[in-house]
Order: sequence, then structure tokens, then C-alpha cells
Amino acid sequence: MLRFIIRRLIVIVPMVLIVVTLTWGLIRLAPGNFYTGEKRIPKAIEKNIREKYGLNRPWYVQYGKMMGSVLRGDFGMSLTYPGQSVNQILWSTLPVSATLGLLAYILALAVGVTTGTIAALKQNSKWDYASMAFAMLGISIPNFVLGPLLVLLFSLTLFWLPPALWGGGSPANLILPVLTLSAIYMAFIARLTRSGMLEVLRSDYVRTARAKGLSEVQVVFRHVLRGGIMPVVSFSGPALAFLIAGTVVVERVFALPGLGNYFINANFARDEPLIIGIVAFISIAVLIFNLLVDIGYAYIDPRIRY
Amino acid sequence: MSFLRSAQFNLAIALVSLSLLAIGCSVSAGNDPYFGRTAPPQNHTLHYVTGSEVESLDPQVGTGQPDTRIYMALFEGLVEYGPKTTLPIPGVAEKWDLNKDSSEFVFHLRHDARWSNGDPITADDFVYSFRRGFSPAQASRAAYLGYYIKYAEAYNEGAVFVRDPKPNAQGEYTYVLEKDVKPEATGIEAATERAPEGEDASLDTPFHHFMHAPSRLVLPGDEKDRAEEINKDPKLKAAVAGKEFVPVKAEDIGVEPIDPYTLRVTLTQPAPFFIKLMAHQFFRVVPKKAIEQYKDTWTQPGHIICSGPFVLKEWKPYNRVVVERNPYYWDKTEYWKQSPTGEKIEQIIYYPLQDNSTIMNLYKSGEIDAFLNHTVPKAWLDVIIPKRDYMDAPENAIDYYDFNCKKPPMTDARVRKAFNLAVDKEAYAKWRKIVKPASTFVPAGIFPSYPTPQAELFNPQKSRQLLAEAGYADAHGNYDPKKFPVNDVELTYNPDGSNGEIAEWVQAQWKQNLQLTIPLKALEFRTFLTARPKGEFKGIARDGWVGDYMDPFTYLGLFASGAGDNGTQWTDPKFDKMLDDANRIPDPQERYNALAKAEAYLLDQQPFLLLSIPKVNWMKKPYVKDMFPNPGTLHAWKFVYIETDQSRWDQGTPDMTGEELGLADWQKEQTASAR
Repeated sequence: MLRFIIRRLIVIVPMVLIVVTLTWGLIRLAPGNFYTGEKRIPKAIEKNIREKYGLNRPWYVQYGKMMGSVLRGDFGMSLTYPGQSVNQILWSTLPVSATLGLLAYILALAVGVTTGTIAALKQNSKWDYASMAFAMLGISIPNFVLGPLLVLLFSLTLFWLPPALWGGGSPANLILPVLTLSAIYMAFIARLTRSGMLEVLRSDYVRTARAKGLSEVQVVFRHVLRGGIMPVVSFSGPALAFLIAGTVVVERVFALPGLGNYFINANFARDEPLIIGIVAFISIAVLIFNLLVDIGYAYIDPRIRY
Repeated sequence: MSFLRSAQFNLAIALVSLSLLAIGCSVSAGNDPYFGRTAPPQNHTLHYVTGSEVESLDPQVGTGQPDTRIYMALFEGLVEYGPKTTLPIPGVAEKWDLNKDSSEFVFHLRHDARWSNGDPITADDFVYSFRRGFSPAQASRAAYLGYYIKYAEAYNEGAVFVRDPKPNAQGEYTYVLEKDVKPEATGIEAATERAPEGEDASLDTPFHHFMHAPSRLVLPGDEKDRAEEINKDPKLKAAVAGKEFVPVKAEDIGVEPIDPYTLRVTLTQPAPFFIKLMAHQFFRVVPKKAIEQYKDTWTQPGHIICSGPFVLKEWKPYNRVVVERNPYYWDKTEYWKQSPTGEKIEQIIYYPLQDNSTIMNLYKSGEIDAFLNHTVPKAWLDVIIPKRDYMDAPENAIDYYDFNCKKPPMTDARVRKAFNLAVDKEAYAKWRKIVKPASTFVPAGIFPSYPTPQAELFNPQKSRQLLAEAGYADAHGNYDPKKFPVNDVELTYNPDGSNGEIAEWVQAQWKQNLQLTIPLKALEFRTFLTARPKGEFKGIARDGWVGDYMDPFTYLGLFASGAGDNGTQWTDPKFDKMLDDANRIPDPQERYNALAKAEAYLLDQQPFLLLSIPKVNWMKKPYVKDMFPNPGTLHAWKFVYIETDQSRWDQGTPDMTGEELGLADWQKEQTASAR
């Protein structure tokens, strides 16, 4: 197990470097520059800017500089936000995105697994149809529709909750974005749990457990749920990584100072250090969460050993 | 799937749709004169949405309008944008004088202007700020605005002077002059070669003599570029042989502190509009002390020293910027003005938000008091425009399409005119709701005494006739759309905002009025911006211009030779001369008349298809007073206050025709005599 974990951790480094290299190449291929604006700037000023940011040096020098910064873990200064370092931006936005993402995922897990389990146990009942109908709604209503709908109801009609802004992360400001963000995950998890459980319910070892005379509660919680939840576990890795790395739409709709806003603007603005920093961060997050998921497998499913 | 067909399910669906409908109705209904909650804030705080996240709090870095609005709280320049007209009102300078041909300004600074740490603001601070802005290392994107200042461009480009390697007996170096190599370079440069006026002896300094001596020759600082330029011109080669190249220094640019409270700025050409540029953030005074001490992080709270009516209290990127009153600010009369029941503003919170619906929601729920321009989404306009807190006024901007005047068939002015006249701008403005139709390039109605030339808005008959005259006609001389090379023309645009819809609308007009189907081509924003100025498009490209300062020249100057930001590729020496002549006229009204004549000539050449003048399109709560929908949406925050007495609230777009706020007495006299 330990060897497995160490091996996977070592693989992270080259993986991230490959991702970063590809990203760097793509930025280079995209036309325009971070200083290109609606108003054209004189040649001399362009030259001053290129000089200042080392853009007139050969590509391998620039690539080397970028790689060096990635390996050091210091991504340098943002180009579109002079005076803010990329690391500073990551550290100030991460708490916002992480709070939002984690809360949304916990809510999604709680509601999703419960409804999924009930739906599976009472298959083809009204409970099943109702919960799956809501899951279907959750999957098909995009969050840029759901968010404004919730705002319309709770902020602009009932005046219960603020329609947007972070407000220092107070619960009142968090409720609507967390609900909006978790809806689709809730729905997915409910459906995954239901189908996973249904499959396990029909398996031989569950029949054996029942034959042994275990109570229904013990059967469900010790055997069925453990097996049935596996698809949810696989889904959780990438889902969590992306939730924590910022959620552009919800951040825009609710005007939250998270990573997603920076990422989208950095791309439009061709802000190389910022793009590289965020991409490196997201890829590390994805790889680590995937590793956690694999460890989780071994823990939950007794058949899996590394 | 019995449940899906069951009565309960249908009932559930019906209930959900009913409740959604109810919410929808409650939003659109409402005969309130104002939009949403309208209760003045109780905590002396103004909540304002200024647009996208500020690039930097350094006024010589950020170029966007959202940034400008925050700089206007934190930093003051020699002059400030007037709240009604955006024309200059006194800032740190309480008075200024111009020389006869408008090529030199002397600013008299007020003695009570102070930094937020209590230090006085002096002419040296401005000299430091200007030199910093132009230094190549600063790489400021707005530096080009100040190229009117003598040798500023040369210094910013890292250029060199040419001189004899050895000084003469007095220790003075002899420099190669521009007229030595380029005798044809008369015009602008020659005009400034005159002795300084000896009216005031204290103003007669060695630096002033240097400024008014014949211009020195300036060559590129880069050796390769320089060698190339020298080798091209044998006369130049001979003149610089055996000479020494010395870099143009910060001390060489035309800004001079005559005494702690007098600043002189010498320009390369007559530029009466220069004073209107001085309110731009690039020219605002920045704190040497903080910059030298903290380098890149000088703008952080705790490090920053401000010169404006407010100081920085908190800055959380993508969250908020909080400013509070600057206790050392000089203006004690207008500043913190309040009506008997008025609520003065102790602090302003700026929110960087980009999603327009989110901004509207916050406004409706009363979380914010006002927001930036161009914000009310199209779908909301029918509800919002009748409200009394909607701001309706033209902007300092123009929307147009470039004709590529270097590629046929748009090389023919008749074709360009035909395409322009075939688009119904009145209908366009009605459709867009938030624009005024444009028939001239300088936006009509924002420069009070500018005599806007007459031009036709729409004439499909004439446009077909023009095309027939241009040779797209059948045997009888009637217009024949089949003859027109449709494949040589396309309408190129970047598909952001409403650009796509607009392109389709205009395309439909050509189809209807000229029977031509012009293909549309969408290009990603930055790709588009790279292609357009080089003329790399077929026929027509979307364009627009936001005035850099409040003068018609910021529009007309776009088409001067070498202006650089001209997608149409159209230039004309006759037009250049008309502009230059106009700028030499000392009387403001006569100058405007001459500029209007130049514009009439430009309109006759028609290098562009005119669409519209955007309207400001923003909202403020009626209790926010002395905040005006001026053409730049730039607010001098010191005038803004909160009115708690409901009877004094604004009942619509506030009146902007009265006298400007914050004018000095001498300016009031001037404007009175002009009337």
C-alpha cells in the first residue's frame, strides 16, 4: 500500500510538467497578447512592455524560466494584475473556492446518497420515481438557470437572503451558491447510488448475508451500501478537485472572489504566469484526489488490494 | 412509469410552473417610480459597482475605466474631471496659463494640497510622477497620451540624441539638430522655435531656453534600428559621422518645476486640448516616498500614500476595494458638502463585478446604490427605462464599422457612402434602445459649443444610385446587384456582447436596401484586434472608439497620418493640415469651427459606416445626489452625497445643463464671457 502511494506521488511531478508544457504551448499558439486591448498601443510602448516581461527573449529561455518557476512553486507576478503575485492570488482565492466546493459536495453526498439508497431499496415505488424525477431535474437544469431562479425567489421576492457577494463568507451569503452548486452533484450521486445499490442488491453475497440471518439494517449498511457506493467514490475524485478549483458560473452569478473568476479572465487576457499557476494547481488537485479515491477503494471494498 | 402519468405528477408540474409564473409576474409588475428597494444607507457608506477587477491601484498602470473611477478617489491630478461635463475643473492646480500658440502650460499649484501622510504636494511631485510614467522601465500603456510633451516620446522609446564627443570651452556640448538633417520637417517643430516670452523674469530659466532651442535630432536607441535608419539616408549618415549617441534622459522631458508651487509643461506642438488630458489617470500625482520604499507592493493598504479626497482602507481582489475620507484633503468647501438633512459619505465600497444580471439583482435588493455604465441587460430595458432612477444620456464614444479603404471595392468613396446610407440608423437606435443614431463621427451633443456638421442618416434610393455610378449598373445605367463583387467583401467582427446580433441586423439592411448578401465573419477578440489595425480584413470590420479626453480632436485625430489606431487605413494630407491648422487657433470657439470643417471633409470621404452613439445606461438610487450621467461615467467622488430627505430626491436623470461644480472663479468668469 505504502509503495503504491509513493509510486503514485512520484508520478505526479512528470504529469504536472507535461500538462504545464502543453498549456504553455497552447498559450503561445493563441493570437494576441496580455497587453492587446481595444485601443492599439504604439510600437515603442509595446517594446517597453516586451522588454519588461522578457517576451523578446528566445522561446527556450522563456520556457526554461516558466519551468523553473513551476518547479520552485513560485509562479511569479500576474501580468494583468501587476502588484499581485500568482501565489498570493491562489492563496487568497483558494479558501473561498474550497469552502464553497466542500460544503456543496458534503450537501450533495448527504442528500444524494440518502435519496439514492431509498430509491434503490424501494425500487419502482412512488419514492423511487419522485426522487429520480428530482434527480433528472437536477441534472437537466444548468446552474446558470438554477442560480438566478433561487435568487429571484429568496432574494428579490422574499428578501430573505442577499442575491450575491461574498460578505466575508457569512452563512447567509453561502446558502444560495452552495445550493446551486450542489444540485447537479446531488442528482448525479443519487442516480449513481441507486444503480450501484440495485446491482449489489442482486448479488450473491447479499443473498448470503440475508441467508445468514442478518437484520435488514445490517445487510444494507455493512454490505449493500459498501458495494453500492463504489461508483460514487470514483466520481468523487475529479468532482471534488474541480469543485475546489473554482466554479466559474456560480462565482460569476453570485459574485464570489474564487479561483474560477481569475482562471477565466486569465485565459481571455493571456496572462501566462496566472494560467500556468492555476493549471498546475488544478492538475495537482486532480491527481491527488484520484489517488485518494484509489486509497478509498481499498478501504471500502475488501476485494481490492494494492 | 405509472407516477409520471399519475395525477399527482401533473399536479406537481402545474404547481411548480404556477409558482415560477407568480415569481415572474411579481418581477415585471410594479408601478414603483424606482427600481427595487429604495432606502438610503444608514452607515455613511456608498456602495458602488465599478466593473471588472481593477488591474492595479497604480494609476500609471491600469488603463480601464473601472480603474479610473477608483483612481479618482485615491489620486488627484493637476485638474479633475468635472462631474457634469467631464471637462477639467481645478485639482491640485488652482489656475493655469497658456502661451499664445497653446504649446506651453504653466500650472499654479494650490499651497494647501497635501498627501494623506500630511506632506505638501509640490511641483517636484508632479515632475517625479511624469518622469516615472514615461520611463521605459515602467512600461506604462497610457504613456502615448503624453507624447505631446517635448522629448517625452523620445525618452519613453529609449531613443538617443546625437552630439559632438567633446564639449566646447564653456563645457557645453553641441547637439545635431533635427533641422540639420530634415529641413523638410517644418510645420510643427519649427513653430516652437521661438524665444521665451520675457514677461516674467522668474520664468526665464536655462531649461526653458533648452526647451525652446531648435529641436535636437532623435534617433532610435536600438543599435540595429538606428544603423538601418542612418544607412537609408546619406545626409543623415554624414551628419552623425564621428558623433556620440547619448540616451534621452528623464531630465530632458518638457516638465520643469519653477518653484515648489509652479510647474511648467512644454509641448511639441500647439495642443489646446492638452489641459483636457491632464485629468487622465496617467498624469495624476503618485507618491515618490511610498514607491521608492515598497517598490511593487506600494499600492497595498498600509503602504500606499494618497493624494485624492479618499484613502485606501482595504483591498481584497475580486471582492471589494474600500476607501475612506482623506483628512488632509485640501477642499473643505465643496468637500463633504451636505444638505440640511444630507448624509455625508465617510467611505465608499467598490465592488468589482462583471455579471450584469448579478449587478441588477444587487441593485434591486438595495445592496448597492449605483453602478457602472452599459449595465442594464437588454431584456430588462422595457421595465427599467421608465423608472426614475435610470440614467439616460449620451457617452463620449462612437460605434462604427471600418471600411478597408486600401482594398477594392471599398477604395471607391461612392461605394463606402452607399453602404453607409443603406443602413437605417433611426430604426437601428430604436431596436437597440440604448443608443442614439449617429450621422457624424464626433458624437453629437457632448461637446456643448461644437458645431456638428450636417450629414444624412439614411437614404436607400441614393445608395443604389451611388453604386450604379460606381459602375455596378446594367446596360440602362440602373443599379444591378449582380455586378457587385460580393465575394470581395465580408463583415468581420468579434462575437462579444451584442456584436453578432448587430452584424446580422446590418447585414439584413444591406440585403433589403441593396439586394446584397454580405457574408459575416466572426473572429475571436484578440485575433480580431491583431488583424483590424493592419487592415487584414475584407471590406468591413466592426470598430468603436471611446474618447481619451473631452475634445473632438480625440476622434478626428484617429484619422491623422501615423495615428496608428486606424482600421480604415484612410489618410489624407489635406485632412492632416486642416487638423493642425485648427489646433493653432487660440480662440476655443473658432478652433471648434475649424475642427468641424475638417470633420465635414472627413464625412465626405466616408472611411467608416456610422452606427450610433452609445448611451450611458446605468442606474443610481434617487438619494445619491450630485452624481451625474456624464459622457465618461467618471465621478468626482468628493461631490457625491446621500440625501435622506425624500422631497429632495432626484426624479429622473439629473439636470446637467447648469453650471459645472467645482469651477474656480476665474473659470466661471471665462465661461460667462464665452456665453
